Amino acid sequence: MLQATHIHFCIRQRPIVREASMEVKPGEIMAILGPNGAGKSTLFRLLAGELKCTRGKINYNGASIEGLKPKELATVRAVMPQHSTVNFPFTAQEVIELGNSSHQASHPEKNLQEVMKLTQTSFFKDSLYQNLSGGEKQRVQLARVLLQIWEKKPFPRYLLLDEPTSSLDISQQHLVLNILQKLKNQNIGILVILHDLNLAAHYADRIALLKDGQVAAIGKVKEVFKESLLSDVFDHPIRLIHHLESDQVLVSSNEFYNYPLKTTKQA
Amino acid sequence: MILSSTIAKSKYNGIVLTGMSMGLLIIGILSLSAGAYSISFSQTIQILLDQVGLASQEINTSASNVLLQIRLPRILIATLIGGGLGISGAALQGMFRNPLVEPGLIGVSSGSALFAVIFIVFFSQLLNNFPLINQLGLPLFAFIGGLINVLAVYRLSRGQGKTDTATLILAGVAINALAGSLIGLSLFFADDSALRSFTFWSLGDLGSSSWTKFPTALLLIGLPAILLLTEARNLNALSLGEREAFHMGISIQRVKLRLLILSALIVGIGVSIAGMIGFVGLVVPHLIRIGFGANHRIVLPASFLLGAILLNLADLIARTAVAPAELPIGVLTALIGTPFFIWLIFKLNLSKN
Repeated sequence: MLQATHIHFCIRQRPIVREASMEVKPGEIMAILGPNGAGKSTLFRLLAGELKCTRGKINYNGASIEGLKPKELATVRAVMPQHSTVNFPFTAQEVIELGNSSHQASHPEKNLQEVMKLTQTSFFKDSLYQNLSGGEKQRVQLARVLLQIWEKKPFPRYLLLDEPTSSLDISQQHLVLNILQKLKNQNIGILVILHDLNLAAHYADRIALLKDGQVAAIGKVKEVFKESLLSDVFDHPIRLIHHLESDQVLVSSNEFYNYPLKTTKQA
Repeated sequence: MILSSTIAKSKYNGIVLTGMSMGLLIIGILSLSAGAYSISFSQTIQILLDQVGLASQEINTSASNVLLQIRLPRILIATLIGGGLGISGAALQGMFRNPLVEPGLIGVSSGSALFAVIFIVFFSQLLNNFPLINQLGLPLFAFIGGLINVLAVYRLSRGQGKTDTATLILAGVAINALAGSLIGLSLFFADDSALRSFTFWSLGDLGSSSWTKFPTALLLIGLPAILLLTEARNLNALSLGEREAFHMGISIQRVKLRLLILSALIVGIGVSIAGMIGFVGLVVPHLIRIGFGANHRIVLPASFLLGAILLNLADLIARTAVAPAELPIGVLTALIGTPFFIWLIFKLNLSKN
């Protein structure tokens, strides 16, 4: 389990993350939602091990993150930052293979093939990364981080993604999140920052709402997706529309919809 | 299918590297026979065969002396320095994630030259009675100067985990200007012989290469170059960014320190032997990336070989173009390198639009 207990992080005495606690279990998708400036990215970097907490503890499978060397950390978790640029003419496959940088995999070729199949990256593997479209680049990066933790291990692994869908069109967004869903049965726990509330409602198992560096709410989608709570966290009127047949929630801003919809029921 | 493509690729890399090694060997033999004192090609081969005990006929002693005592060490040292500049340029470009980085542009060479001049002007006389310290002091000083400058530029140009190209170039300009003015200041206290060697530092010259300098070059350029080769994997990870490299399990601070020290060592020793030779470290890795891709497994060794080939070629021209006089080699590399680089920028711009 990836576990953060009362983590606190300050920049020049100003708290960015305040007493935040959360956990990511293997086999679940945990989504972090919150307005801009809520401290999502800082929390993400703390969990990834890039920053050290001022106070509090982060444990990966019971081991404190402070005691793990970069190489050991890389075997339990892989991280996909928001934007990764490549300044040199690497091919897509070469970028994916960077996932093997710090460890010797026992079946590197098999892993590579499986990862490229899952992310649908094999047919442009020999193209230069720089020439790929935004969606293709994102899938290549996803393949790279997957390769890093692809091999089955006796312990659970974790995947941390910072807004993996931010620059993608709707079909690419669902493609990426569908890939994440397929990882759940591989003993991998997924933590993902999302901006789109609808995507989070659709794909996440649990959701943490962040506001002003604090965890405002954490729990299953149904527990967290309440109109008053979301409106409060995002400082914006938010309306939930429940789809009757599929038990799905649709999120909308209710500024322009101040009338009751016939096909919906209030939460 | 992927398996076979990977093998095909490493096979291809092997062919590329073998081909370049052959090219280097041919240019080396060509350089041995060419020069102010003419030695025919067949004579050259014979003298070389004689050295390994396969002599078939009488050989000319003065030709043999010129070849073995003057030209051979010079070619070997040119190979080490040219290769060193190529591989350290490739490593620094990879580390800074910036294709414009070059030991000369970011101040490594000028830092080395400054400290070398300081050593010659202020310490060389004092240590005249200790020839060994005197011989080791110069490369040591050059290395320290290069290291100080590269660390300074690195610190200045970094913010938010990235190196910004504009700041990097500005930091390089500033550091170069400072080193240049300090060299000028040191020369104020210098005698005539130190003044002459300043011309040498600033223009680059392989003329003073000899067997006595070869062990230093072999040990302090050759060994760091081999150590740089083992950093290919780390450099590949770093080309995605320092954050990403850390995520992938690289201890980036240690790796960066190793890369900086090894590059400063190579460039510093090179400067202490042959002065500032520009553009090799800039142009060579570019050519390799255009030709064979950005994977450092090929970029590093191929940059060494191409750097060695280019410097030997430049030295061959420097020795023969105005024979019996010689052109300073730094002038030649800049003369060939600059227009080429401008053409390169145009071409890259065109392909972008």
